[in-house]
Amino acid sequence: MTAYWPWWAGAVGLAVLTIGYTLATDRSFGVSGAWERVLHWRREAELERREAEFTDERTLVAALGVATAEHFGTVPAVPVPPGPAAVPATDGRRSGAHPRPAPLVTQAVLLVSIFVGGLIAAVTSGRFHIRFDMGAGYRHLVTGNPVAMVALLFAGGVLVGFGTRLAGGCSSGHGLNGCGRLSPVSLVATATFFGTAVAVSFLLWKVI
Amino acid sequence: MRTRGGVLLANLLTGLALGFTVTSIGFGDYAELNRMFTFQDLRMFLSFFGAVVIIASVFALLRVRRGTGRLHAGVVPGAVLFGIGWAISGGCPAIPIIQVASGYLPAVVTIAGIVVGVRLCRWANGRHFFRIDRGSCEG
Repeated sequence: MTAYWPWWAGAVGLAVLTIGYTLATDRSFGVSGAWERVLHWRREAELERREAEFTDERTLVAALGVATAEHFGTVPAVPVPPGPAAVPATDGRRSGAHPRPAPLVTQAVLLVSIFVGGLIAAVTSGRFHIRFDMGAGYRHLVTGNPVAMVALLFAGGVLVGFGTRLAGGCSSGHGLNGCGRLSPVSLVATATFFGTAVAVSFLLWKVI
Repeated sequence: MRTRGGVLLANLLTGLALGFTVTSIGFGDYAELNRMFTFQDLRMFLSFFGAVVIIASVFALLRVRRGTGRLHAGVVPGAVLFGIGWAISGGCPAIPIIQVASGYLPAVVTIAGIVVGVRLCRWANGRHFFRIDRGSCEG
């Protein structure tokens, strides 16, 4: 079993994938946002379909305006609403904050590929091992009772799911992307969830 | 890369890299996580905040637009709930996925909890059980 990565390798790895995604797609990735959309698949697919229709309509209006102007040799009478691709970069900056999230299917792919990436790392490092507990650390620090473990994992999961959506992001959306963009809301959220996790972890370690 | 296929490829590669990286750092290991949160071992802490510093520096250099999200009423309460959940389950939204991938089968229960929590938030927000402005419970 190989050792965990040193801190600098982890920092470079997390930074490269976050920067690469942002530059490649002009969007920010967030795992809790992907969960949110995938878990509301039907509703989100309907919204995507309407958005596509709306974009088609805007493209049609723009094309009719240009054709009319060419035919009569005038400027379009109706202001042409710019489509998403036609929005000019006003100050030369990358927007990096796309108004629409990534397509639904791509976010489902993100969640599945996290699993595959984790599996590859666990197998190649010799760390993959089927277990029916959460390891010695969880047993010593939280509980060794299987029923209590299941109850706490479920309660913790509900808090993570509810909390990240209430806060509008998680450790990837707020933590890596938002803090990387120096977004005030992400800096506050990250300081709060890290601070709370530190306090609860100290309680588990020293008190309970 | 801004096409649908390009975004799909970017998500695929980012997901693979994220799963591989967080597993290799040790975020799926509860003992390591508790040692990070109690400052017994700063390795994972420095990985996370080192990444933030690199990202912020590169974004500033490339003039990527700064975040403009508004601080709404759900941010602090939501982050507190998330912090408690992360400390007691060992999972942020990506971690239980890689825990299952590493063989920690009970993490399936954490995933089930996340599914319930995410759906509960949208349901509660839709029913106006709390008055949170746009930005909460939205992608």
